[in-house]
Amino acid sequence: MQIEMEICFYKAGIQSTIQDLGRYPYLSQGVPLSGAMDSLSARLANIAIGNSEELATIEFTYAAASFVAETDLLIAYGGEGVLLITGNLTLPPYRPLFLPKGTMVELQNNNKGARTYVAIAGGWNAPTILASKSTYLTAAFGGYHGRTFIAKDKLKNDKNWSDGTLKLFNQLQGKEPKFTKWGILAKSFLPDDNSIRVVPGREFSWFTSNSILHFVSSSYKIALNSNRMGLNLEGAAIERSKKEELLSTAVAPGTIQVTGNGNLVLLMTDCQTTGGYPRIAQVAAVDIPRCAQLKPGDNITFKYISQENAEQLYIEQALDINILKIAINDKLQ
Amino acid sequence: MIDKKQETTSSYSFQTYALSEQAITLEFGNEISEEIAEQINSFKELLSENSFPGFKTTVSAYTTLTVFYNLMEVLTSGLVGATCFEKVSNYLHQLKQTTYQSHRISKPGITIPVCYHEKFGFDLQEVAKINKLTVNEVIQIHTSAHYRVFMIGFTPGFAYLGGMDHRIASPRKSTPRASLPAGAVGIAGNQTGIYPLKTPGGWQIIGQTPLKMFDIHRDQPSFLNAGDEVKFKSISLDEFNDWPCR
Repeated sequence: MQIEMEICFYKAGIQSTIQDLGRYPYLSQGVPLSGAMDSLSARLANIAIGNSEELATIEFTYAAASFVAETDLLIAYGGEGVLLITGNLTLPPYRPLFLPKGTMVELQNNNKGARTYVAIAGGWNAPTILASKSTYLTAAFGGYHGRTFIAKDKLKNDKNWSDGTLKLFNQLQGKEPKFTKWGILAKSFLPDDNSIRVVPGREFSWFTSNSILHFVSSSYKIALNSNRMGLNLEGAAIERSKKEELLSTAVAPGTIQVTGNGNLVLLMTDCQTTGGYPRIAQVAAVDIPRCAQLKPGDNITFKYISQENAEQLYIEQALDINILKIAINDKLQ
Repeated sequence: MIDKKQETTSSYSFQTYALSEQAITLEFGNEISEEIAEQINSFKELLSENSFPGFKTTVSAYTTLTVFYNLMEVLTSGLVGATCFEKVSNYLHQLKQTTYQSHRISKPGITIPVCYHEKFGFDLQEVAKINKLTVNEVIQIHTSAHYRVFMIGFTPGFAYLGGMDHRIASPRKSTPRASLPAGAVGIAGNQTGIYPLKTPGGWQIIGQTPLKMFDIHRDQPSFLNAGDEVKFKSISLDEFNDWPCR
């Protein structure tokens, strides 16, 4: 059993696209991973309403967006970019939200982050292209006709309803916006420390020791020309001690490349599958979602950890998310 | 030139390093060579026939093969090692003990039609001038060689082809073009390649293929894959325009 839901964009926002957790199987054919920049927030938003974590969400960039509920809605949102409000009511993040037909929802800037993920009961409806519903703007495929949303676009939900989702809907349904007393404490998945943890990259030894010291002791500023492919970082230039050319090889989201003029580029989820710039570091997978929330002008600092440590952090987070899923499942019984 | 009859027995040789928590790169050397490309391609096939729990996909490059995997599946697998990286690395090192028959006759070559008409070969004159050749000589040289796909990268389906004749090598444009048509065939240094999508690009453009090099409606969206052997064939403007399914 599932219930059809639909929204209509009133203001579409700066860059609003459909994203799930990306498309791995086509990396060998040069197709980027794509998917939610802040995959943690997208997963938690889905989990909050009893969805599978990999269902399609809407990724909003900053605020300046609003949508109208064309039907009753059961949604949840995550990410640090905005707060969702309706009238005078602030809707809490990471929590199941019921909104009756006709509700106007606005995204209000809170200056904390860059991206917000809205999940809907059953996931958002979009064709599966190359094993994913994610939008890849560069090649204009995936998501909603391969593009960002514009005003008046309408979007329906999909039919992947779990029993728990249905129970939530029945529990919250009414004439007024309503949400549960419980929610997910997203902070518990993030470290207190602001530094982004990185593992030394393959070409780490190609840089002068002074530059490496700079890399971990000074802060870098997110440049204006940053996007889903990568964050350009402004700061002390990194000098090379080894002038050798690197033959292009595989890169991945989280790879920090040093360009010819010594600038840093932190690759994000729409990045190319191969690259030819030497790699000074690889961001720990658990910290990539935090990078996705950085805005132009924000500062970033790095801290080296070991490969083993990065792996351990990943495993701990995966186990924590599993526990969360079990706990929510229990609530929805 | 690729010798199609050669058949030798050799062993794989590579070092491994972690690209990320969920990717390991096998480094087969540090220079572009047919022998390394052959090893990478052969090991990729060996791995797809003998994959491990959590294996996702591979990305081939000039001297590397990167193996992507699901960390949690590797963690709970029976693979041996203190960390997941070690588990996968150990498995791959074990697999490399297998000697391989280098048989280069397995894949038939792929012929790609290219229209070298001035309408498409924006830089054909320039490439000829740089190399003190006539335009026809450039076309003749470009269509005579056998190429190998060393890597797919840059954009979906973009194939980097090695094996080009040095006589038509040309540096990249000093200013990349803001937009190239899908199918544009270019030269950069000693490499040649085809732009599968309408994108910006800095290679010297000598022609255009009517083939769809990347198509999301195919099971294998990329027309070319790493390891493929390729030849170019010159077609006329009429043949280009009449090409079916353009």
